[in-house]
Amino acid sequence: MLETNSVAKLQKIANQLRLDVVKMVHDAKDGHPGPALSAADIITTLYFRELNIDPSNPKWADRDRFILSKGHACPALYAALARKGYFSVEEFQGLRGLGCLLQGHPCMKKTPGVDMTSGSLGNGLSIGVGMAIAAKYRKKSYNTFVILGDGEIQEGIVWEAAMCAKRYQLNNLIVFVDHNGWQSGGQVKDISGLLPILPKWEAFGWHCQTIDGHDFTQIITAIDTAKKTPGPSVIIAKTIKGKGLPYMENDNSWHKRVPTDAELAVAVEALGGNANA
Amino acid sequence: MLSYKGTREAFTKALIDLSAEDDRFLLVSPDSLKAMRATPFADLYPDRYIEVGIAEQNAVAVAAGLASCGLVPFVATYGGFITMRACEQLRTFVAYPHLNVKFIGINSGIFGGEREGVTHQFFEDLGIVRSIPGITVVAPADEHQVYHAVKAIANIDGPVYLRAGNGREHVVYDQDAPFDLGKIRVLKEYGTDVALFANGFIMNRALEAAEILNAQGIKVTLADVHTLKPIDVEGITKILAKCGAAVTVEDHNIIGGLADAVAKVSTDHCPAPIGRIGLQDVFPGSGPAEAVLDCYGMAVQDIVTAVKTVLSKKR
Repeated sequence: MLETNSVAKLQKIANQLRLDVVKMVHDAKDGHPGPALSAADIITTLYFRELNIDPSNPKWADRDRFILSKGHACPALYAALARKGYFSVEEFQGLRGLGCLLQGHPCMKKTPGVDMTSGSLGNGLSIGVGMAIAAKYRKKSYNTFVILGDGEIQEGIVWEAAMCAKRYQLNNLIVFVDHNGWQSGGQVKDISGLLPILPKWEAFGWHCQTIDGHDFTQIITAIDTAKKTPGPSVIIAKTIKGKGLPYMENDNSWHKRVPTDAELAVAVEALGGNANA
Repeated sequence: MLSYKGTREAFTKALIDLSAEDDRFLLVSPDSLKAMRATPFADLYPDRYIEVGIAEQNAVAVAAGLASCGLVPFVATYGGFITMRACEQLRTFVAYPHLNVKFIGINSGIFGGEREGVTHQFFEDLGIVRSIPGITVVAPADEHQVYHAVKAIANIDGPVYLRAGNGREHVVYDQDAPFDLGKIRVLKEYGTDVALFANGFIMNRALEAAEILNAQGIKVTLADVHTLKPIDVEGITKILAKCGAAVTVEDHNIIGGLADAVAKVSTDHCPAPIGRIGLQDVFPGSGPAEAVLDCYGMAVQDIVTAVKTVLSKKR
């Protein structure tokens, strides 16, 4: 069982990442805070507990791989990478700016620690399949993690990749679906016939789990279980878009919206982190 | 040692030869193993053959993942399925991060698609890939050139699109003729009345036209522009300067391919009248390979006429 203090530690880091996200989008006057906050706890768990990585050697061949397929949530990824030490938190200032390290969507050639370019929805799983097959071919033990959005999995290529992962029994591929129930234009349930999600993955032969995507103990346990499955594994993480800031939670206007100075101040108060460090 | 007949077989042979010395090369197949005549590779290297099912977008994105881990995947299938169905994956996840993925597009041109009809005749592929930054684009003239070209592109870092055919390609090169990536190759120098710039599996027709014109007293210089990108600006300019007029010959829409590439060199460096032989921006149809070329503006006589027309415009 997970120690209480490690959960507390993760919670503290997640709060910092959330504050970084709000500050980044506030300062850049552009970006997607809601989708970043829904994935923040999963990203925190991956970067601060799970991933076998070396910030001083971002291209280390044996590292675990991570793909944020829902690339628009990248402020959360950038926050995690900076807090891990891949680059300075001062880079946050430049988000989406000309000549910046932190592009509007993740760019593997520009940002240290970003394993794969993303932002055009649906493609990350196929790329993760490629990374996982590469590990098998090279007899390496690293795992590949992918975060997909629930809206994103309406893209057909996701299911092409799901079949492919099954054919190769990729037990080194672990996928999260950040199931916050919203997408750009409204609720997932109203926009597509996708729901329920889990039986779809089951039908494709994947090992499936459903968890609370904001409960660190559940996230960690699910990853541990996924690592032991004989084939590809998906974790449907039930999340709240905008999680952590009551004014943002389940208000889809925050899919892409810039916090005001007052809203940033509320975030600083609520998350108790340091908006400047 | 050269045991192949046809451009697809030449590709497979080259891949096998490359793989004997380097274990980074993989074949990613969207159920194209048979179409590519690549079964001998899969038999020899089962773990280097990645079957992704009939899913070209997946094929290209999987290849991006493989390449990001230091491997060198060849995605090989019908040219249009790579460049149209999987265009975005090619552009955003291979070309943008400059990953080392090689694309082999078969059934190129209307000659390659012939009886299958428009769904399998690909005459936009070169235009599509040419407009994407950072990708090398190659259209060799026959099986021997495909063999050497595959070896040449394997040895450069970065994405490449290479055209192959469907088995009806005419042999126009000697087996051992080198493939010099990025450089045009002068095939005939009858004279400098008009320059003929050609590429791909229509080269036999360009050669035939050059010979007929020569017999009629019109002396052309014929060059193979097998590398469309990066284009050999210096080589083309040199010939344009000597000839002062040109005709391009390609089995591709006249928009986006060789015609545009040569015209750009001309307008930038050596303005000259240019005639364009190729598909005249229409949808073709099914038919025997030679007959479809004849029917859609790529007959030998069309080339001959275009040369005469452009010659009359020469100052």
